[in-house]
Amino acid sequence: MASKENSNSLMSWIDRRFPVTENLERHLTKHPVPKKVNFYYLFGALLMVVFMIQIITGIWLMMFYTNTEEGAFASVEYIMRDVEYGWLMRYMHSTGASAFFFLMYFHMFRGLLYGSYQKPKELVWLFGCFLLFLLMAEGFLGYVLPWGQMSYWAANVILSLFGAIPYIGPDLQVWIQGDFVLSGITLSRFFALHVVVVPLLMIALVVFHIFALHEVGAGNPEGVDIEKHRDSKGMPLDGAPFHPYKTFSALPAIGIFFIVFFAIVFFAPTGGGYLIEKPNFEEADFLKTPDHIAPVWYYAPFYSILRAITFGIPFLGITSKFLGFIIFAASIAILFIVPWLDRSNVQSIRYKGIYSKIAMILFASSFITLGYLGTKPVNELRTLIAQICTVFYFAPFILMPIYTKYEKTLEVPDRL
Amino acid sequence: MRYFLILLFGLGLYTFPAGENKCGTLEKCDPYKANVHDINSLQRGLGTYMNYCSTCHTLELLRWNRLQRDLDIPETILIEDLIANPDIKPADYMTFGLPEVSVIGAPDLTLRTRVRGEDWIYTYLRTFYDDPNQLTNSNNLVYPGTSMPNVLVGLQGAQELDKDGKIISKSKGSLTKEEFDNSMKDLVNFLAYASEPARITREKNGIFVILFFIVFTAVMWLLYREYAKEIK
Repeated sequence: MASKENSNSLMSWIDRRFPVTENLERHLTKHPVPKKVNFYYLFGALLMVVFMIQIITGIWLMMFYTNTEEGAFASVEYIMRDVEYGWLMRYMHSTGASAFFFLMYFHMFRGLLYGSYQKPKELVWLFGCFLLFLLMAEGFLGYVLPWGQMSYWAANVILSLFGAIPYIGPDLQVWIQGDFVLSGITLSRFFALHVVVVPLLMIALVVFHIFALHEVGAGNPEGVDIEKHRDSKGMPLDGAPFHPYKTFSALPAIGIFFIVFFAIVFFAPTGGGYLIEKPNFEEADFLKTPDHIAPVWYYAPFYSILRAITFGIPFLGITSKFLGFIIFAASIAILFIVPWLDRSNVQSIRYKGIYSKIAMILFASSFITLGYLGTKPVNELRTLIAQICTVFYFAPFILMPIYTKYEKTLEVPDRL
Repeated sequence: MRYFLILLFGLGLYTFPAGENKCGTLEKCDPYKANVHDINSLQRGLGTYMNYCSTCHTLELLRWNRLQRDLDIPETILIEDLIANPDIKPADYMTFGLPEVSVIGAPDLTLRTRVRGEDWIYTYLRTFYDDPNQLTNSNNLVYPGTSMPNVLVGLQGAQELDKDGKIISKSKGSLTKEEFDNSMKDLVNFLAYASEPARITREKNGIFVILFFIVFTAVMWLLYREYAKEIK
């Protein structure tokens, strides 16, 4: 390799033993990315930033946090009051969790809009879906740790879902909790999972996600294959090296993200009760149920789906709660199979037909409506709307093989 | 399609029945937003707290010396007038010698403002009225059946309900209505501070962090434009 010979002797000494330069070129300085993309393509970089914020602030919080039933709540207040800048670490971590989901939803919606799951990017999408699943688990486990009222009772609601599984349910719930009720034993195992197991899996999957992406190449809003036209050096004509072009386009976005992020951290860390819920400033009390158990906003759409299922299948022995759990799980699971549901010959929504566009609007609006309903107490009308929205959430995916196959698509241009 | 979406969102919003923001029996709480940067107000609030609340309510997460530093209290006043107990050190929590779980069930107030909200506490403190059916001889509009006696009656004067359930003044207290409301604002302000002492630094310094990132974004934007020219 030419670059190896040109570099100084220390670098070439290392390169012969460990391919630093080769990997830097492969993933950064020579990795081609499309020249023209839109803002949707910045969320991946922002997600990396948030992931790092969560890891760094998480390490600091872990230094002062006590993972026992007696000490957890007090140790969080100790962090808020007696640890220097502990409040900043805690608010960055709690706001970071919301930011993580916010960016993740946009990042995945980008994928749906521009077909970032289509051949050959199926694995990129699959790893991403696993990351969403892990993020949801991570958020849930972390939410229990401050041991406030909402931590305790929301965890109770979610754990009772496992108890609703026929035959094995009750035993499974006890096995997960490690106790007959949600207790300090559950808290300390959730702590272990939250700080070690899930983050390790997430790091591994982020690496897989990026390696797979760099193998198949990043997409663009037009759905044009930039690999088709290359210059004499083998660089795609519509592409530019990741570094410096992509890195420097991400930096202003990171700056804007930090402005919003720190505006929330410093001036509205509880987000009016949506980011840190009011009952969570009261220590968990297993004798006192809060008036209204609401999930944090980022789980609200899925919680709404869960609550919308008010009926079971009695002759199969399926209770409404268990059916709700199945539909709830399916609402995430269905994302995994999207690459095989889409039969369209074009990638981007820009060249797909009217049915695909309607489907995306339906999906997005029902997701938002479900999210709104999920934070509110139930009544009959809300349940009905949640049921309609649940149908609209699934319909775009279930009908995808049909409408993508038969709808009229536009011709994709040759170049960006 | 578009109409359908509007209908859908409309329905979603329509499901917000009136009264979900209810403040006890009131339609809504009287608004009050704490300003923890007003040290004088915090000091006045502390005064009211020490005179009227500290007999029953602890502040088990707030340290005396933290209070001294944040509220600018001279050391002699802290030790002689506020702590007034040689067994208590300035680094101790403000528990006033009360047991962890109060015998009469008065809750610890350190985080109460964050649980209930500033509006709620402000309204609660001002809506006590005489009710002979209650054990304490008084009741509350925001929290009906409250077991807290109307300890502020000397300041506010007695109140009662008229035929429509509206609160009216029954006798005069030592403060006028406006003075009493202001005094309660100071008290809630102090409680809001107690629930999050870091709020003072947080709200004071946040603006510099944001200004830094505005400059950072501007510089990075200019840099990005230079690079973007190259690949046009």
